[in-house]
Amino acid sequence: MKKIPLVVVPLALFLLLIVFLFQGLFSDPRELDSQVKGKPLPAFSLPDLMSPSTIYTPDVFKGQVTILNVWGVWCVTCAVEMPFLTTLKNEQNVRIVGLYFDQDLDPDFGTKTLARVQEEVTDMLSRYGNPYAFNIFDVYRDTSLDLGVTGAPEHFVIDADGVIRMHHIGDINERVWRNKIGPLYNALLTQMNATSGDDATIDAEPNK
Amino acid sequence: MKYLLMISVLFISLVVHGAEDNFAFDTPAQRAQFLELTAELRCPMCQNQNIADSDAMIAHDMRRKVYTLLKQGKSEQDVIDYMKARYGNFVHYQPPVTAATMWLWAAPVLFVLFALIVVITRKNSRVDEDRETKLAKADAMLEQENQ
Repeated sequence: MKKIPLVVVPLALFLLLIVFLFQGLFSDPRELDSQVKGKPLPAFSLPDLMSPSTIYTPDVFKGQVTILNVWGVWCVTCAVEMPFLTTLKNEQNVRIVGLYFDQDLDPDFGTKTLARVQEEVTDMLSRYGNPYAFNIFDVYRDTSLDLGVTGAPEHFVIDADGVIRMHHIGDINERVWRNKIGPLYNALLTQMNATSGDDATIDAEPNK
Repeated sequence: MKYLLMISVLFISLVVHGAEDNFAFDTPAQRAQFLELTAELRCPMCQNQNIADSDAMIAHDMRRKVYTLLKQGKSEQDVIDYMKARYGNFVHYQPPVTAATMWLWAAPVLFVLFALIVVITRKNSRVDEDRETKLAKADAMLEQENQ
């Protein structure tokens, strides 16, 4: 009578351990809980990559659902996803804005000129397609730090009020778009159209 | 002996190299603070390295940020809070005590207590059994002698 629970205890512990470790097989250690999700974009004032006299603030995200793509020419995965992002822009009219930051550009030493960076960017975009409405140049990488960016590529889905709704680490491909980002993007579009007037509906309606 | 010396020298140079950056500090205390912070902040990219060790770009940037914040006269806790606000609890090697992480401290204590209880109860019951069997044996032997 007394012996039964003692046999069951290690078995139960073992089963718990199996469940715990089994879950671990499917967890992605790079999937950190984002601190910026649900918050408006942090304040910034950054130049356009191609024409530095244009200065952007978080206001450029107001009124439109946007995907902010953190990238750089040195990032291989960014080059891989670029054709797909371009398709999204062309076929579904998705607004993609680049947050560009350069790896070799050490803010403290200024080893690389802006002209050189622009040349590299133009070269890469002409090769893989240009999905961007425009590119914001994060010169000192401060805004990336504020956004909790760990590397590239990373994406932020921003709603029409300029609030970050999703932080996606890694590339966007067909599967990720279909299962994760696309549904949210379309839901935000519908939400925006429901609250704004009829004119906006026609402008922002996806082509498909 | 020679090899041992060479190997140890090799490791020393690596350790020094890891934390090397061109940062100038106002006071030695500030420098010590910087070294302490970069050792206990975790790199979000190279996940099992602290930012002092890691050569990822994000670690460079975070070191630079820690430096600027310290220069501005921020305290160590301010810097940790700044990083946590951006990268979550993950970024600090000292996890906060929450309902979920409490078990990290509680589980070993509970395990020891549980084991102690099991050992004590088992010991007591076995002693009783032994005594009874011994008594029975003794009785049997007495009976045999009497016959």
